[in-house]
Order: sequence, then structure tokens, then C-alpha cells
Amino acid sequence: MKNPIIYIRKSLSKRLSLIVVLIATIIFVAALGFLFVESRKAVRQEAISRATEVLDNTVLRVNSLLDRVVIATDNFEWLPVRHLETPDSILTYSARILQCNPDLNGCSISFEPDFFKSKGRYFSAYSYNNQGTIETEQEGNDQYEYFYMDWYQLAKLLDYPVWTEPFVDYNPEAVYTREVIASYCKPLRDYEGKYIGTISSDISLEWLSKMVSAVKPYPNSYSIMIGQGGTYFVHPDTTKLLNETIFTPTLEQPDSALSELGHAMQRGETGMRQLMFEGKDSYVFYKPLGSTGWSVAIVCPESDIFGGYNRLYNIVIAIVVVGLIVMLIVFGRIIHHELRPLNTLALQAETIASGQFNQALPDDKRIDEIGKLNHSFRNMQHSLVNYIDELKHTTAMQASIESELKVASDIQMGMIPRVFPPFPDRQDIDLYASMTPAKEVGGDLYDYFVQDERLYFCVGDVSGKGIPASMFMAITCNLFRMIAQQNRAPWEIATQMNAFLTRDNEQSMFVTMFIGMIDLRKGVLEFCNCGHNAPILDGKFLDIKDTNQPLGLWECKAFNGEVIEDIRDKQLLIYTDGLNEAENMQKERLGDERLLELMADTSNLSSQQIINKLKDAVAHHRAGAEPNDDLTLLCLSVKTL
Amino acid sequence: MNLKGKILALTIVLINSLSVAAQKVTDKIIFTPQWTAHAQFAGYYVAQEKGFYKAAGLDVEIVHPSVSQTAMNRLQNRESHATTLQLCQAMELIDNGIPLVNILQTSMNNATVIVSRRNKDPLKQIGARVGMWHAGFGQIAICMSRKDHLNYKWIRFTSNMDLFLKGAIDATLAMSYNEYYQLLQMGFTFTDNNVYRFCDHGYNIQEDGVYMRRDYYDSHKNQARKFAQASRKGWEWAANHPEETLDIVMKYVRDNHITTNRTLQKLMLKEVLRLQVDRESKKREFRLRPDMVKFASQLMKENQLLKNDVTYKQLIAE
Repeated sequence: MKNPIIYIRKSLSKRLSLIVVLIATIIFVAALGFLFVESRKAVRQEAISRATEVLDNTVLRVNSLLDRVVIATDNFEWLPVRHLETPDSILTYSARILQCNPDLNGCSISFEPDFFKSKGRYFSAYSYNNQGTIETEQEGNDQYEYFYMDWYQLAKLLDYPVWTEPFVDYNPEAVYTREVIASYCKPLRDYEGKYIGTISSDISLEWLSKMVSAVKPYPNSYSIMIGQGGTYFVHPDTTKLLNETIFTPTLEQPDSALSELGHAMQRGETGMRQLMFEGKDSYVFYKPLGSTGWSVAIVCPESDIFGGYNRLYNIVIAIVVVGLIVMLIVFGRIIHHELRPLNTLALQAETIASGQFNQALPDDKRIDEIGKLNHSFRNMQHSLVNYIDELKHTTAMQASIESELKVASDIQMGMIPRVFPPFPDRQDIDLYASMTPAKEVGGDLYDYFVQDERLYFCVGDVSGKGIPASMFMAITCNLFRMIAQQNRAPWEIATQMNAFLTRDNEQSMFVTMFIGMIDLRKGVLEFCNCGHNAPILDGKFLDIKDTNQPLGLWECKAFNGEVIEDIRDKQLLIYTDGLNEAENMQKERLGDERLLELMADTSNLSSQQIINKLKDAVAHHRAGAEPNDDLTLLCLSVKTL
Repeated sequence: MNLKGKILALTIVLINSLSVAAQKVTDKIIFTPQWTAHAQFAGYYVAQEKGFYKAAGLDVEIVHPSVSQTAMNRLQNRESHATTLQLCQAMELIDNGIPLVNILQTSMNNATVIVSRRNKDPLKQIGARVGMWHAGFGQIAICMSRKDHLNYKWIRFTSNMDLFLKGAIDATLAMSYNEYYQLLQMGFTFTDNNVYRFCDHGYNIQEDGVYMRRDYYDSHKNQARKFAQASRKGWEWAANHPEETLDIVMKYVRDNHITTNRTLQKLMLKEVLRLQVDRESKKREFRLRPDMVKFASQLMKENQLLKNDVTYKQLIAE
């Protein structure tokens, strides 16, 4: 199978099965496409609902913890402000907050530099939960100027409560703990509304991280939490925690989708975005965490959401593909089987076409289109066989007729003299003649002979064509020679011939004829023109005063003749209308004028040259057109010796 | 030799042996960068890890500063023998009576920028609250603020950009190799309008260099010279092997529990190396420029940050 297109074009069954499968494919693709698009929408919607619900629950739980911190801080802030005269009591209050709120990890109540004269430049009452025991200490020294810390300054500068970004609890004595904490900071004001310090409550993000990390609506989904600066505080890849932000990958490789997601999360928006997240096409559902500025997101790889859908999709596609292939094969076989009679028919038609007309056709009992075709083909075969038989018969007959015609033609040609020069021993006679029938046999004739120093000649044209004309010509020919040999004048010959031809002429055939006799001693021409074309003498049409009727039409007592005293050294051309009326493809005749042109300046040419010249001119004029009439030419001149 | 003579000879021997012992103790050079482990100090880490210091016959220990032990404190207290300092910091210290010697100048350009939180030219925010490192580094900005009557209210922050991020300050000082990229990493959008680069406005004053107390230098000239040469070699190697340098930097970052990432360090290294190329000569020159010293001294004195001029001669080794 070198060229599949040619292979398909050659096989109707293949073509039909391909068309069927192609149409089936289009229908399948359209139907399945619609089904898949709609089901994908449904799966997507389901995933959005599921993830959103999980996210809402998570955020709700986190917010409840954050709210407890806020409420605890708000409930205690009045205590230190009320007891500013006893700074040591503030140490107790910071511990009390922790005792009453086990969610808290630490609490500091810190004051502006030199706020308490008795305490020096620094006073920060800090309590923290040391593995179940609440420890309290006064913080602040030249190495730890707490009032430059973010948690202190944020509340001071913003003048409203604020959550810090989660940070690693940093021990000034270089003991690094990886515990991530966040602080809720609130400015403290005295009764005059003047800022005096910051109260800050710390929570460990460990519980929060674990809870957020545990959120997994899909097997490969995971949760992340970022601070307002985009820093990861929850991420399954712990190397990214605190080290990277959601924007880090964009530093070297701009990623507008990721940047937009990060900005949306920073702005505290709630939503869902589809993007390439950490190398996977994912859906990211995000929601802010209260007023913290932080944001939680669930990253669901698309392969998880659409895992089942994709499996189903692949299976269905595989089934459809296999089905289409099976359909192609089965349909191909069925169609091939159904069309087999056609194939047989084609082979038998080939055999018949090669000439074996009697090849037996299968006797098919089918009544469908193929059965009808078989039936018609059988009929056609019978008709063809009959026709061929008839044709053979006709051909044989035609061949016989043609053979006979050939014989007739030979006989006819044998009746006219065809040996040139006709009188080799006479130098004074230059005569040449030619007869070319339009068909196998013609109705033209010519003849000549010398008797008693007289040259008798004639040119005739029988009405009609074919065999009747040829037979009439044969009669005429014989009659001329028989009568002329009686040394009669041309008009007497014509009169006698007419009398003979008109007798029992039921077919009313006639012959135009020019009969002439030249006295070779004197050069006198006697002639009788019986309805024939005027000959050309010395380049001009012969002026004939008495034109007689054609021979054989009706009885005539006497034909008229004329005499020209001396035609010696003059060319005399006698011809039939096959010359001047020769037609080309456009049915244009050669014409008399052209004939005279051809005959001008021919005095130096011999009779044979003249006749050849005329025949060439006729052939040239016809230009390939079939001859429309017999062409007979006779040219002679009597020389003065 | 009489007893007096014997005692004298013994004393000389004793003093000599004590001096040798003391010399052995002080053979170790404790070097403190002015900040925690970052690519800003890549050249020194490379020199240490690739054995350039050792090959120079030096025993160098790199000790990073802590909140209670800043690089300046350590130098002042003689806990460190060499430290990196910005030129202006060094001049302040000299002005305060602590003679220093610049043994290697790495920075040839100023990296300080002011970033405005809103898309507003920092120079048009008179009286704005502008963040500045608690540890210093803001001398040029203070001078500019005073000179141009901007009257910035300086808010000192300790370590990160949270004050800026939460909107507690209107603008902040930043280093083009550090905080600038941190802000980018936080999703901050820089425009043509909200960044002011000191180097582009006539304040292109060199920054990081390696300094020793002059008395220490005078007694350890050879070591100081070798330390400077090996450090310079470290920087040149870093410039030619950025990826391997980053590997070394990240090792220090991990060992010191620094919250950063390779991408940030890569950008920092690239920018620090860029700042080492002199704008005019287009070369990494490793030299203090007298014109910059003169300009810095003049500027700081005019703006009351220096009591007296600090000259190029006061800073250089010879």
C-alpha cells in the first residue's frame, strides 16, 4: 500500500467505511465534547464548593483563636493603666493574662523610655509560658532596646491594635528556637489619652500551623499561609518557611499570575485562581485571616480535582477510539461482503470487454440494487452478444460488398485507357487524362482513340454516384467507343448514344458529355457538348453556341455540333465539375476564376504537367476535406510537326 | 653577671617568652562583618572556605555580630580585630576618638536608597516618617535630609521591613542589595517615582570596607596586609565563580539560621559585586577614593555628624 489515498480511492468498501467512521467520529466528538465540557464545569463547581467550605471552616477556627487573643488583651489592658503608680504590679498583670488565657504564649506590657523614673530607661513586664510554668521578668537593657522592636513600634506609630507579622522567637543570647510566634499589639494610653506603651500578647503558631497544614480536601492538595509581606508561615516544604515569600519565584522569572495571586492575598481578598503554582497547574483558594493581614490558601492541583474526571475521560476516549477502529474494520468487512457481487461483476465485465462475450454471469437471487444491476448487466450482455453477431454479419457483408466494389472499381478503371503516353509513336499528340472517383466507383468517364487520322475523345459525368452511376458510365463508355468507331461526327455520335440511352431508362439517369473529334491532318476540331462544362481552350472557356441536352434524358432527333477550324498547338482541357466545384471544409468551391488562373501561362507545360498541377491545386484547395465529387481531367494538344 | 644582672637577664627572657606567648594568642584574627551572614560578605567566606587566609599563613575566625554585640562594639571592645564598616561609620568612630585603619575598601559606590510607600517622590514628603536601621548606616540620608530641609522624622527599626509594610512609616531607607530585593520579594512594586538612589544624586560615597583599630594595625601590619590581600582574592574569586560562591554563602546562612533564600542571596551577590566596580574606571579597584573621603567628611561636618574633618590620611594604612 504505497499510497493510502490511491488505495482508498480504489476501494469503495474502504471509502464507504471511512466515511461512516468519519461521520461517527464527528458525532462522537461533538457529543462527548459537550458532555466533557459540562461535566468539567460541574466537577470544577463541586471542587470550588468543597474547597471553599473547607477553607471557610479553617479560617473560622483560626479566627476564633485569634479572637480569643484579642479579647484577652482587650480585657486586661485597663489594669496596667489603672496602676501606673505601682510598676511592679504590672509584672503580676502580665502573668495574670497568661494564667487566664492558656492560648497565649507570652505577654509583655512595655513602656516608653524613662517612663518610670524608679525603673530607669527600660521597663517591660514580660511573662511567658515556660513549659507550663509562667515565668515573669522585667526586660529591656542597652542590648535589648525593646522600643525599637516592631511589635512595640507598630502599635505606637499606627496608634491602633495590630497583629505583627509572624516571626521566629529570637533569643538575644543566641539560642535559636524555630518557634514561630505572632503578637497582637495594642497601644496603651493614660487617662489623658497620651501614648505610654504597648501591650503585646504572643501566640505560638504551632497549633495554628498544624491545623492549617492538616487541611487537605484532595490527596495532593496542601495549605499555605502567608503574612502580609507574602512570607510563608505554613507550607509543606519547611525550607520555605520564613525564608521565602509567595513572590520569591517571580524575582528571577516574572510570573504575573503568581504576582496577582500574592497581591490579592495581601489585599485580604477572598477568591479562587487557576494558575501554575510551584510547577503544577493548580486551583488556589484563598481567604484572609481576620484583621491580621495574613492569608490562608488551599492549593489543589488540577490533577487532583480532575483526577477522576480525567481517568473517565481517558477511558471513554480509549473506548471510542477502539470502537471506531472496530467499526472501521467491521464496516469495511460488511461493505466489502455486500459489494462483492459488484466486484465479480466488474471482473466479468472486464472479461466480456476483452472479447469473451459468452462469459457466464452469476445467477444472483438478490432483489436489491446490486441484484437489479446484475440483471441489467445480464440483459446488456445478451443484447451485446446479439449486436456483436449482427455486427459480424453486417461486417462480413460489408466486406463482401467492398470486395465486390473493388472489383467493380478495377473493372471500371479497366474500361478507360490508362496507359500514357497513349500514342507513343505519334509526336503530334500530347494527351493525358486522369479519373479519380470520389468513392470506390464513380460516374465519370473519359475515352479517346485514333482512327483514320482522327482523334476521337470524350469526357462525361453520369448523374448520381456509386454503383448505378458506374454501371451507367460503363454502358456510356462502351456505347461511345462502339458508335465513334463508325467514323461519325461528334453530334451524330451524341444523337445515336442518346437514342440508345433513353430507351428503357426507367431510372431517368443521364450523362453530361463532351464529345470531340480532331482531324489530325488539318487540326480541325468538331465537337458536341451535351450539357457538359465548357472546356478550356488556350486558357479560355470554349465559347459554345449550341449546348445540347445531357444524354439519356429524353429523345432528340439531332444533336447540334460545332467546328473549330484549327486548334493545333493549343491546349484543350476537358473536365468534370469535380474540378471547378471541388469543395473545402468550408464548402467553398475552387471556382471558374481560379481554374482560369491555373490554366494561364500553361503553354509551355505538357498535358501531364497541367493535369498534375490541377490535381495539386484541387488537393490544396480541399485541405484535407473529403472529395465531394468524382474528378476527371483530360488535356490534349495537337502539335504542328 | 651579678645577681642584679641575672635578675635582669631572667626578666628579659621572661618578658620575651611572655611576648612570644602573647604574639601566639593574638596571631588569630577575629573578623566580624557588620551584619549577619549574607552574600554581602561573600568574599570573606570564600577566602575562609577556599583556604586563602590559611595559604597566607593566617588563622582567621569569622564571628558574626549579635544584637548585644554589634560589629562596632566588638571592634571598640577589641573582641574583634577586623570588621567591615561603612565609610561614614568609620569616620564617626574616628571622630569619636577611636583611630581606625582602612585595610581594604570593597565598595566603590553607594547602595543606599529611600523607598516611598506610596507612589510619591520621597523628596516631596517633608516631615515624613522614614525608617532607618537601628544599627546605623544612615549618615548620608541624615545629611541629605538636613541639607534639603526635608525634616524627616527618623524611625529606627531593628531588622525587617514590617513597619514599612504595615504602613507605620511613610518611607524607609534600604540597601540596593538587600532591603530593595526584600521589598520586591514582599510584592512591593517599584516605580520611577518611589525610589531615590543617593548614588544618582551627588551622594555616591563609598560604603563597605575592612577596618582595624590603628594600634592593632600598627603592631600587625604584615598580618593586616595579608588579610586584606586574601580577602581581596576571595572577592575576585567570588566575582568569577558566582554559583560556587553562592553555595558557600548558603552554608554560612544555614549555619547561622538566617531567614533568607538562595534567590535573594544570588541577587544580593550580583548587586554587591556591581557596587564594587568603580563608575569611572569600570574596574574593581579595592581602594578608598580620597575625593569621596573628602566629600563625605565635608558633608558630615556641615550637617553636624562630625566635629572635625576626618582625612583620607587618617583612614589609610600608611
